[in-house]
Amino acid sequence: MKMRLSQVLISFALTMALLIGFEVITSTLLPVLGWMEYRLTFNVLIILFLAIRLDSPLVPWMILGLQLVHSAFSIEGWALGTLAGIIVMISANYLKELLQLSTAIMTMLTVQLFQIIWFVTVTLIICLKISNFDKFGMIMWSFIPGSILLSLISPILFWLLRSIWRVPTHGGSRGVEI
Amino acid sequence: MKLINESSKTKIVNNFLIGILAIYGISQKRFNLDEPTLFQKIMTEVISPVQEGLASSKQSLSSLWDNYILIVNTGEENAILKKQISRLKSDIFSMEEVRKENLRLKQLLNYSDDIASERILAQVVGWDSANEFKVIRLNKGTNHGIKVMSPVITDQGLVGYIYRATPNYADVLTILDQNNRIDVVVERTRTHGIVEGVFNFKCALKYVMRNEPVEVGDKLITAGVGGIYPKGVKVGMITDISKENFGMTLSIEVVPSVDFDKLEEVLVLIPASQDSLSMETKK
Repeated sequence: MKMRLSQVLISFALTMALLIGFEVITSTLLPVLGWMEYRLTFNVLIILFLAIRLDSPLVPWMILGLQLVHSAFSIEGWALGTLAGIIVMISANYLKELLQLSTAIMTMLTVQLFQIIWFVTVTLIICLKISNFDKFGMIMWSFIPGSILLSLISPILFWLLRSIWRVPTHGGSRGVEI
Repeated sequence: MKLINESSKTKIVNNFLIGILAIYGISQKRFNLDEPTLFQKIMTEVISPVQEGLASSKQSLSSLWDNYILIVNTGEENAILKKQISRLKSDIFSMEEVRKENLRLKQLLNYSDDIASERILAQVVGWDSANEFKVIRLNKGTNHGIKVMSPVITDQGLVGYIYRATPNYADVLTILDQNNRIDVVVERTRTHGIVEGVFNFKCALKYVMRNEPVEVGDKLITAGVGGIYPKGVKVGMITDISKENFGMTLSIEVVPSVDFDKLEEVLVLIPASQDSLSMETKK
């Protein structure tokens, strides 16, 4: 299934708006309600969807765009997540035939697996940047509770993103071709 | 038969380009100081008013669930009466909030009387959306006189320093962040050490030798070296000391003196000059 460029732009704009909404919830609404300890990194989940479900040469640029938006909400910046997103996308391309996201459980497990790849990449880069690998375990541990919660809600968010990108529910992992 | 089609080639080229760009971005990235890009400035200025609005309605949001349950569980007639009571309660609550805020601000201003620098009062409007960074966003920026690297305090103690600033908002790298290192002294023994953020809203005191007579309950204050923090600001209290079988230093856990869970207003100190980064210990 192919999408026209105008459709892609509309879907991407909606995805951006969704990300901004989630970033506001994570950075302000949840802390205001007393949820301080862990952050729900929705940018990771949205990028995972694009990397796993969309088959397009434009995906790396979309990841860059989403990470640029994320950098306004976090000092993490755009570069770390962009590199992690590219690595996840390449991994997903290799595992494409094995990935079946037709059930909620499989979606959760797949999302958790790719989140681990993402966080290992990000943690390794941070440890390299701060020249301190003693903190590897601590940084990784800080990701785990939030990532499990994200995996649990991933079927709902993926359903929402599938509607935005018009990806068929049982269309395999290949998704749309742009 | 072509092994790689045109689409695959484009994908590889795009992945390579963005990957290289990301690696360059990572190489330029600093986690202790940052100059926001034009895009980040625009995004922050556009989005942060929403964060500010949400942050300012904290009490309303917290009590939303309770009020909802109350309204659902009452009859129609009672609902009208309860609404009236709720409104009155809300008024009283708002007044109480204003009173508390007034008290907090007074304490904050009294606390900083000794500090010889310009003070800017700011409200916390958001937290960093990534797990690994402990950063807060303030509703004041360069237009209000805020400068990068200015220390941020409350009446309870040290919060952090300004990491980056846009015209109307500023991000503070708190002492909970692993990239923030504070030179401190133990108030009782004058032992020097470095406080670093670790995890779970706690910090660690590092580089304290095993023979130093530090104890659980000792208070830490800023040493005033390094050019960012004024001397004598409360940082935290030692809550646990463990001696490893190896190494020359102690493993010390510190709980910050600032309650970051309830952080609402802070004071940004704008030093007039390097000389002003000095104050006597607040007793």
